Amino acid sequence: MRAQTRMTGRLRRRGTQIASASVVVLLSLVAAPCGAQAPKAGGARPAAAPPAAAPPAARPVDVSGTIHMCSSCHGPDGRSVSSTFPRLAGQQKDYIEAQLKAFRDKTRADPHAKTYMWGMAARLSDPLIAGIADYYSSQKPVAGTPGGSPEAAAGAKIYTEGIAAESVPACKACHGDHAEGNSVIPRLAGQHRAYIEAQLEAFASNARANEVMHDNSKGLTAEEIRDVAAFVQTQ
Amino acid sequence: MLPGGAGTRRLLRTIGDGRFIVVFLAAIGMSCVAYWRPAEALPSYARQTGQQCAACHNGFPELTPYGRLFKLNGYTFSGGTTDMPAIAGMAIPTFTHTSAGQPGGAAANFGPNDNFAFTGSLFYGGKILDHLGAFVQGTYDEVPRSFHWDNTDIRYANTAALVEQELVYGVSLNNNPTVNDVWNSTPAWGYPYVASELTPAPIAHTLIEGGLAQQVLGLNPYIYWNRLVYAEIGGYRTLGPSTLDALGVLPGGTSAIDGVAPSWRLALEPAWGNNTWEVGTFGMAASLVAQRMTGGGTDHLTDVGVDTQYQFLGARDSFSVQARYIVENQNLSASQALGISANGHNHLRTFNLKGTYFYNQTVGFTVGYFNLQGTGDPLVYGAAAAGNKPNTDGYTLELDFIPFNYGGPSWWPWLNMKLGLQYVHYNKFNGASVNYDGAGRNASANDTLFAFTWFAF
Repeated sequence: MRAQTRMTGRLRRRGTQIASASVVVLLSLVAAPCGAQAPKAGGARPAAAPPAAAPPAARPVDVSGTIHMCSSCHGPDGRSVSSTFPRLAGQQKDYIEAQLKAFRDKTRADPHAKTYMWGMAARLSDPLIAGIADYYSSQKPVAGTPGGSPEAAAGAKIYTEGIAAESVPACKACHGDHAEGNSVIPRLAGQHRAYIEAQLEAFASNARANEVMHDNSKGLTAEEIRDVAAFVQTQ
Repeated sequence: MLPGGAGTRRLLRTIGDGRFIVVFLAAIGMSCVAYWRPAEALPSYARQTGQQCAACHNGFPELTPYGRLFKLNGYTFSGGTTDMPAIAGMAIPTFTHTSAGQPGGAAANFGPNDNFAFTGSLFYGGKILDHLGAFVQGTYDEVPRSFHWDNTDIRYANTAALVEQELVYGVSLNNNPTVNDVWNSTPAWGYPYVASELTPAPIAHTLIEGGLAQQVLGLNPYIYWNRLVYAEIGGYRTLGPSTLDALGVLPGGTSAIDGVAPSWRLALEPAWGNNTWEVGTFGMAASLVAQRMTGGGTDHLTDVGVDTQYQFLGARDSFSVQARYIVENQNLSASQALGISANGHNHLRTFNLKGTYFYNQTVGFTVGYFNLQGTGDPLVYGAAAAGNKPNTDGYTLELDFIPFNYGGPSWWPWLNMKLGLQYVHYNKFNGASVNYDGAGRNASANDTLFAFTWFAF
């Protein structure tokens, strides 16, 4: 991992040079593999696939290679474009850690967790998980989209007051006044609306096992789920 | 829109004879095995990443945005917990029915119509070193009854920052122009993803549409910046006849590149919500020793293609459209001198368009359109084409069922499978709709019903 850090630095400088030319430098990249492979003869391990054993505790974990892989779906700095993949920028650190461990242990088993995250998390060590959580939780969150729609207004009412008749408590009691979350309670503010809808449906159907959220979501109609999701996206 | 009544009745009789049913029942049986676990395609990639096929494929082999990044990053992403070797297999038993049979047999060792055939491949697919990975395919094909090397893409990739944005850069060593591409709008991985070899094939195609496949080696350095801009240049050289022979590729009748043929690719892919839209250009320029006959100098072919791909990948519904248009300018001075071309200059223009809908990555329907137009040339196309023109036009309908995109059967979780039924209709074939070959055969006689089971394991 250490060897890779050095190499990444070297190649980052090489990459910056690319800005200055096009065709000629493109050609020069042919040579890059040879130059870049040289230091790996020493047996560098990929950051993307750390050994199962935890690295020495005193040394900070290099998450750059792993974050690069995460960013394939979750976007640069955790600001994903597709609603299939949640935005992680500014997400609660403890929540990210808990979810990555749940993917690794296969205790979170909603469809997308199986498709993507079981494999992604299978070999993550605890220190690496902590490093990933630390990275994403310290990124600037995506700003909420402008509100004003009737759905968001209806969602705001559910979020702040709950629905007494259906025994749905106010979301804000746990997720915070501004949907910022707290510890293992996730930040919802600025999250993709479709992602929130999919999670509420997964809680309700128990596809994503969580007793508290199952109780909270099972009484919601499809319309109410849509409203709440529309509201938190604006926060 | 099935082929003519008599043809349909013959097909139904064939279906009734049992072999067709055995292939399909076996496949369906496997899809009903007790419970499903993660599977993938290539299965070795899924073992490496621990992910399901649907992570990288929108109804395989079409790539999702994540699948494109997996490829551009050199097939090196990992995560899975198995240490099995990066070997995968593929088997495609097929059945072909053409509206009218082909007297003398659809190919050597095959009957005039209603033929079963088998294609099988072995792959090395996966990470080799930290930044080095490969897709290497070897194929046994029952139609020519030969084993040959197939599509190969070995690549180095790494990342850097450029203008504070991610830059993926790398180089691909491959054996087929556009096989290294990540959008399914370019020829090597374009639609149709599988097609019958036992049906009459249009007489012409452009060089970049398979004309050099497996006969060349190319080196393509590339960059992908900010998940938006892709740029690549490269060069291809033809392998020597003895090398090709050793690799199971028959060099006879093929044209050899004189020196190095440069190629290029430029694409932009904006993304918003669950949508991606790619617009790009690709092409190559080649000096060719026509049919490897030296002494006449070289022909010069230039292929310029434009392409686009739109994908919407939702939680349940996915939809994609791919289109490409290629203009090939052929300077045939060498062929003309050798007496294998009447004209000194010809052109070909091809257009391909297809749209696919998939429900839950399991059931899909595809509509495709294809069109080819070219200059008439009595020596290049001869009597097999009406008016000596290669013009061909038609459409394709396909129904697919992929039961394991989210998980294979318990006894082999790395199994994926596509059951497909494909129908091809020709409005025009080799220059005409009616009597294109001068022997009374109409374009619609080549209408094809093609059933296949595509196993990946």
